Order: sequence, then C-alpha cells, then structure tokens
Amino acid sequence: MGASSDPTQDGSDEQQKRSEIYTYEAPWHIYAMNWSVRRDKKYRLAIASLLEQYPNRVEIVQLDDSNGEIRSDPSLSFEHPYPPTKAIFIPDKDCHRPDLLATSSDFLRVWHISESAVELKSLLNGNKNSEYCGPLTSFDWNEAEPRRIGTSSIDTTCTIWDIEKETVDTQLIAHDKEVYDIAWGGVGVFASVSADGSVRVFDLRDKEHSTIIYESSEPDTPLVRLGWNKQDPRYMATIIMDSAKVVVLDIRFPTLPVVELQRHQASVNAIAWAPHSSCHICTAGDDSQALIWDLSSMGQPVEGGLDPILAYTAGAEIEQLQWSSSQPDWVAIAFSTKLQILRV
Amino acid sequence: MTAPLDTGLQSMLQAAVQSVHWTYSLFWQLCPQQVILVWGDGYYNGAIKTRKTVQPMEVSAEEASLQRSQQLRELYESLSVGETNPPTRRPCAALSPEDLTESEWFYLMCVSFSFPPGVGLPGKAYARRQHLWLTGANEVDSKTFSRAILAKSARIQTVVCIPLLDGVVEFGTTDKVQEDLSFIQHVKTFFIDHLIPLRPKPALSEHSTSNPTSSDHIPTVMYTMVDPPAAKCNLNDDMDEDIEEEEEEEEEDEVESGSEDETGDGIACQTLRPSTVAEPSELMQLEMPEDIRLGSPNDGSNNLDSDFHLLAVSQGGNEARQAESTRRWSSSQEPMQVQLPTSALHPLEDLTQEDTHYSQTVSNILQNQTTRWLASPSSIGYNTYSTHSAFAKWSSRASHHFHPAADGTSQWLLKYILFTVPHLHAKNPGESSPHTAADTKLRGKGTPQDELSANHVLAERRRREKLNERFIILRSLVPFVTKMDKASILGDTIEYVKQLRRKIQELEARNRLTEERSKLPEVAVQRTSSSSSKEQQRSGVTMMEKRKVRIVEGVAAKAKAVEVEATTSVQVSIIESDALLEIECRHREGLLLDVMQMLREVRIEVIGVQSSLNNGVFVAELRAKVKEHANGKKVSIVEVKRALNQIIPHAVD
Repeated sequence: MGASSDPTQDGSDEQQKRSEIYTYEAPWHIYAMNWSVRRDKKYRLAIASLLEQYPNRVEIVQLDDSNGEIRSDPSLSFEHPYPPTKAIFIPDKDCHRPDLLATSSDFLRVWHISESAVELKSLLNGNKNSEYCGPLTSFDWNEAEPRRIGTSSIDTTCTIWDIEKETVDTQLIAHDKEVYDIAWGGVGVFASVSADGSVRVFDLRDKEHSTIIYESSEPDTPLVRLGWNKQDPRYMATIIMDSAKVVVLDIRFPTLPVVELQRHQASVNAIAWAPHSSCHICTAGDDSQALIWDLSSMGQPVEGGLDPILAYTAGAEIEQLQWSSSQPDWVAIAFSTKLQILRV
Repeated sequence: MTAPLDTGLQSMLQAAVQSVHWTYSLFWQLCPQQVILVWGDGYYNGAIKTRKTVQPMEVSAEEASLQRSQQLRELYESLSVGETNPPTRRPCAALSPEDLTESEWFYLMCVSFSFPPGVGLPGKAYARRQHLWLTGANEVDSKTFSRAILAKSARIQTVVCIPLLDGVVEFGTTDKVQEDLSFIQHVKTFFIDHLIPLRPKPALSEHSTSNPTSSDHIPTVMYTMVDPPAAKCNLNDDMDEDIEEEEEEEEEDEVESGSEDETGDGIACQTLRPSTVAEPSELMQLEMPEDIRLGSPNDGSNNLDSDFHLLAVSQGGNEARQAESTRRWSSSQEPMQVQLPTSALHPLEDLTQEDTHYSQTVSNILQNQTTRWLASPSSIGYNTYSTHSAFAKWSSRASHHFHPAADGTSQWLLKYILFTVPHLHAKNPGESSPHTAADTKLRGKGTPQDELSANHVLAERRRREKLNERFIILRSLVPFVTKMDKASILGDTIEYVKQLRRKIQELEARNRLTEERSKLPEVAVQRTSSSSSKEQQRSGVTMMEKRKVRIVEGVAAKAKAVEVEATTSVQVSIIESDALLEIECRHREGLLLDVMQMLREVRIEVIGVQSSLNNGVFVAELRAKVKEHANGKKVSIVEVKRALNQIIPHAVD
C-alpha cells in the first residue's frame, strides 16, 4: 500500500482514509512505543524519543476519530531521563487499577496518568548499596498478575518486581551475557533471550533451574527480541541479530524450531503475536515491510517455506511494532520519526 | 476435554492394546463444531514409574494399568481445572507430573494435541480414511510427525493410526514394529464388532459376574469384558454365548483374510465389505446344533489361545495340539512379566532432573492454556483481515523491489537501543536533569546518587590534601630532604629512621657501661665489674668499627687508630648543601668553639647545635650548610671527619 503521504494531496488523504492508515510525525526519532490497554482509552498510544542525551521525551498521543488525526496532548507530555528502551501501559482492560505507564532505561519507572498530567509514581532500583542498577534493555508486564513486572538488563540478570510494594521479588542471573529481552508466559513463568544466543525458560516456583529451549546455530550469535504467544503459550518467536528470519519455537520441543519465517528481504527488527488469534504473527524489518503470517498450517511441511498472507510497505525501516490487545484489528508501527497505526 | 462417547470406548481401547501388548491406545474424536480431532479417551499400557494407591493388597498387572490410565486422566483434569481447591480434588493417591515415566508423559501430552483433518498423523488418517503406520517415530523430523520430539524422549518407536468410529484410533509402542496388515485387521475387530451401541449397565453386570471366577479363567474374563451383554442370565447360556462369539470371531478372521488375498490391499472401504459378508455367516452359526456346541468346551479354550497367537486351529483338534497351545500361552505370559520391570527401570535411569523440572513448567503453562481454550473457543473463527485493511495480500514479486542496505546498518536502531543506550547511563551518571514537574520525584530519588558522587570526589580530594600535607610535614621533620617528590621523601625518612634506631642502640650500650663503672670502689664487686667492662669495650669496638666502615672509606692506618680510641666517635652526613655532624668524645675546655671555628674554615656554616656533657663525655649534634669553595667544589665527608679528629681529644687507655 501507499507510503506516508503528503498532507497537501487530497488524493493521498482520501486513499489514507479508505485504507485506514493514520500517521503522526514526532519531532524526534521514535523507538519505544505501545498501545493503551484500557477500554475507555481507545486509539491511545505512548511514544518515546530516541535522543543520545539525558533529557528525552515521552508523549501520549490520541487518534481523533472525527477527523482522522493523531494528536499529542501537551499536558500529557513529559521529560524522561535517557531514551526509554521499552514502554508498556498497564494491562488492565477493565479499568480496575490506576492508569499507569511503565518505561525502562537506567531504572524501571512507573508513571501515573491523570486527565491533565503525568507524574512519576515509582522509580524502582533494586541495588540498595550503590543507588545504581544495571541499565535495562527491556521489560514485560505480567498480564495475569499486573503487580509483577520482569526486567532484563545488560548485567546478565532478570529482575522480577512487585510494583505495588516497589520491591524486588526475585533477581536471577539469567544468562552468561547481556539479556536483551524478556517475556511472560504465565503467572510464574517467563523466558529471556541473550547475547549468548540462547532462549531460556524460567519457572518462579523453581528458581534454581532454567531450561534452554533454543540456541542459535552459530556460536554466540545474539538473540535480540522475544515474543511469547499469549493466546497459545506453547509457542514463542525470537529474532536473531543481523538475520532476516524469525524463529518460531514450541516449548514442548526444546532446541528445534517449529518453523522459520524467511520472507523479509533484510533484518527483522520487531515481532508481535496477534492478541486474539493463536496462529497469527506480525513481523517488521529493515526492508520497510510489515508482514502478517498464518501459522495454522505449521504442522505440515510447506514446500519452499511459509509465505506471509499480508504485507504493508512503509517509507523507511520499521523499527517498532505493536499489536493492540484491546483493539485487535489494529497494529502500530514506528519508522524514522513517524508513528503509523494500520488496520489489519 | 471432550467426554468419552460412552463407557465402552475405554474398554475397547484397553482390550485392543492389551491384546497386542503395545504401550498405549488413544481415540481421536472429531469435534463437529470445529471440525478438528481432539483427544477422546485413552488407555495406558506401558511402564509405570511410581504407583500410588490406597489399597494395600496386590493387584494384577491389568488392574494396575487400568488404574494408571484413570490416574493419568485425573492428573490431566486436575491440571486443566487449575489450582482451585487442590486438597479436595486431589486425594493422596493422585499423581503429579514428577511421578511419570517418559512414556506416561508422552501419553499425557497427547491430550493437549488436536489435529485438523489432513494435519498430523491422525488428521491424515482421518482425511484419507486409511490407516497410517509410522515406524521409527522417534527418528523422523517433526514435520512428518509433529510429536516426534516427545516420542524420542519417551522412546516411542512405532505409531499406528486407524480411522474408526467417526474418529481415529491410535496405538503406540516402544518397540520397533514394521507395518503389519494382520495387526490392523486384528485390532479393528475390537471396534468393528461393536458398532452397535453398548448398554452400560449389563456390561457392568457382566464384569461383576466374572469376578468370582478362578485365576485359571483370567483370559476368559479379559475376553468376556468386551462381549455384548447376554440376553439370558443363565451360566450355561453365558458359556454358550462365549462359544458362539468365538466361533464368529474365527469365521470373520477367515473371511477378512480371504478378502485381503483377493484385493491385495487393506484399504478401509474394502475392509467394510468383508464385515457385511460376515453377517450371513453369523446367522448360520446361530443355527448350529446345540449338542455340537455343548460338546466342545475345550475347543473354546483352544480358539481363545489361537486368537491371541493369530493361529488357525480347527475344531476338535487333538490333545497334542491343545498342550502345545497351552505352552505357548504360558511362554507369552512370561516375557510380558519380565518386560514390565525392565522397561520400567530403563526410563527411570534416563529421567534426568532437568527433564522433571521442565516438565512441570510445561504442564503449568498447558494448564493455563486449557483454561484459555475453554474461555474463548471462537478464536478459530477469526477473520484474517477487513476490507479496509491497510495491508495488501502478500506476493513475492512486490518484495523483490527492495534493495537491501549495507550490512553495517542492519537492525541499526535495535542495536543502538541494546548496545549504545544502556551505556549512556554509565557515561554521565551524575548529570543533573532539567527542572520540570515530572522529574521532581526523579531528582528527589536521584539526589542521593548525585550527593554520593560529589561526596566521593570531595572525600578523594580531602584524602589527597591530607597526604600532601603529611608529606610536607614529613619533609620538614626529616633533615637533609632536598627533593620534593614523594619517593625521595619516603626514602630519606626510611634512612633517618634507621639512624635514629642506631643512636638508640648506642645510647643504651653506653648507659650500661656507665652503670658498671660507677661501682668500681667496691672491692668485692670490682673483679666482676672489670670482666663486664672488658666485654662491653669489645662490643663497643665492634659496633664503632662497623659504623666507621659504613661511613668512612677509611685508610688502613686510620682504622687502626680508631680502634684504640674506644669512646670517641664522629659521624658526618652531607646531602647536597645540608650537613649533619655527630660528635662523641672526652670533654675539654673550649672544645665546641674550636669545632665550630674549624668547620668555618672548611666552608661549613653551622646553623644549629645540640650538645650535652655527661660524666665527662661530650656529645654534640651540629646542623650546618655546606658552601662552595672558590673553585666551586664542596668539602667532602672524609675531609670533614679528618679535620674533626684532629681537634677532638682522644681517650688514652
């Protein structure tokens, strides 16, 4: 479909509306980005800047249904130290809990969002002695138990936080090298990927053991991102550094990929499982493409490999991808300074 | 999990799998709403790792397997339901995942699988309406057999899927068995016979009736459990019924065998015809004379044996053949008994702790998953994309237009976030943030870190200042220090401390000598004193001699003279322009003044003097500045010592 359009062209505007593509241009490069989950805040996203300096910014943007514009609310924009590596809204569809947003960088921070302001609720530092903790590469919010957040760090550890008590539940030395991503698979089960090239599964009921369920074929080829299928927790997917393929794993069959998705023309940057279907996954990469795959036929071999069912081409390398869990017809992508939301 | 079709299904599965001594049997049942094969029921007939039972008495292998199948099912149900009210639902005899052998684990994990028609071994068998025989199930890749990895760890080598009863019956074993059509025909008989629905209550009654029979009739009992209910309750009639069924069974086998020979293949649709043809035979059998049937009870036993061994035995066979059949049954019993503990031990040895832990994790996840399945069964009906989708259908041609960027820029932003951004924190941890409302708490939380950093710098600075200050003090305390560097100051201090130690030793020695001499007037003590005094003198000479050797590059003659002068010592130290002179000798009038005048003559300007007179011994320490002569040279230590020795008086012994 069309790339980002010039606002002055009526034809492009019309095309955009027809195909339901909405674009927001930020004043800086976007990396961390995510959808709001609450039912009462539809079409709301948080975007964060990527500037190589201490002061960075987070904006909360909203799609205005009436005119198709994505607008930033200045009162909900705030300064953030260092570029955030990840941003997640609290997984609370039914609005039972306060409206919160979490970000990771030098520390894990939890922000409270009210109608006209955002304030820092918690700054979580697990290292009591030095007032300095290992920089965080990513984190995941436990949907089944929203007071739990797991963070991954370059100091080889994964930390499980209780954000209500603002304390560390558990800290595990997860890998031999930097841990690049973490994902929950259940109440007390999470997995992580690392520069050591492995995917490990941890069970909080048995903290002394972890299981390697995948190792990249070349020694020490880092794995950089991980996604655990929330609809069907038997499956997870991971991205290999400098690789155009996405590896899909079955937790019951350690070490052997179920399928390898290899239709991107350049390295893959992001993956997102469909939040409402157990067999769909979206991938995005340096080839400026977002692809949606149907994995329901994984059980039987497909000659020449699996093809995606849908494709979207953006105007630049797609760096971030998030599939909305409260509005599963929509995915959001970020490339360069643009945020786009796309109807599936 | 779908409820079983009826209570007879598991009995059929049990009878079939036991008759062939395989590890398990399953029924994949078609779920009409979703058009998918799901686990319907099963019977586990393999190795048991841990037996949990509240009954103290011994049970037969058959009963143990039946209990095990039920326990495995209860385990799966408990995992599915979740953790609600675990004490109530799980009696002490209930299983937990760690109680399982790998085979049992495979059997349990099968419950979590489902197969659309055409997918997986059961799916393909269903779609093709043809049995599928897989040998080497543990060696194929997971594309051929989706449970290959599980099968490998459980050592399941052979799997057979047979479409039956609007679903698929699956058998699995840890033995490697090549495809055997007679096997297919054999196990089918357990299901084809009973296409007519069973009546549960009479079946139970049948089983209850069989209980009192003696152990000799165990085979009969096992066989009878799957028989249709009898119209009559009479024991004789039951026996007659058994005879009739056995004869029918034999006839059916013969018919099917013939059909197989004729067609050359065993496809399901053709197999159904022999079943139809068999019906008239059954009717004919019913018309057999009563006396013939009553007259052949032994033949019935033979038929039962032959059935298990797939042997054809004619009616009215001779006794020798009967004996042979009996022995074969016994021999077949024995391997089974031996095999069970052997196969049980083998998985135990291979079951590693790691597998146990991971199994628990997987079962934990599956438990949540099953709950989720129950919550939202409609996910399969998901529509891929709407008409207004921003996405287009993918085609390989479109993606060819992309020109890959240079490798150096691959995943640039992702790597930047993972590799560069975390290290920004280390570069400037103390950098203060701009003043905004959002960062108020941040600055509050960050202040301890900033203060700690600042405090550290200040503490370090204070420490350095202290050190420098102390070095300055040390330099001023130690005479003759001329260089400012710390190494020199330390070196000079070390040398000075050594000098002080030597002085202490000398003073102590002299003190002892003086004490001895003060007692000379006493006659009684005089002899002892003299002896001690001589010893002291020798010691003193030795010490003085050593000192002079170190200080003076002496001529032999002067050394000799020094030995004579026991109580006289002269020490001279010159470091660049600073000099320290230490004199110890017998006192005379005007000695100090004479020494100072002499020093002046050799261009040594005295700056400070410490002197004392004790018991006729003169001790002086002079600090001086050494100045250059007209020719630019300074006086040497040797010259100074020579001049001093000329002036000071020498003791005469």
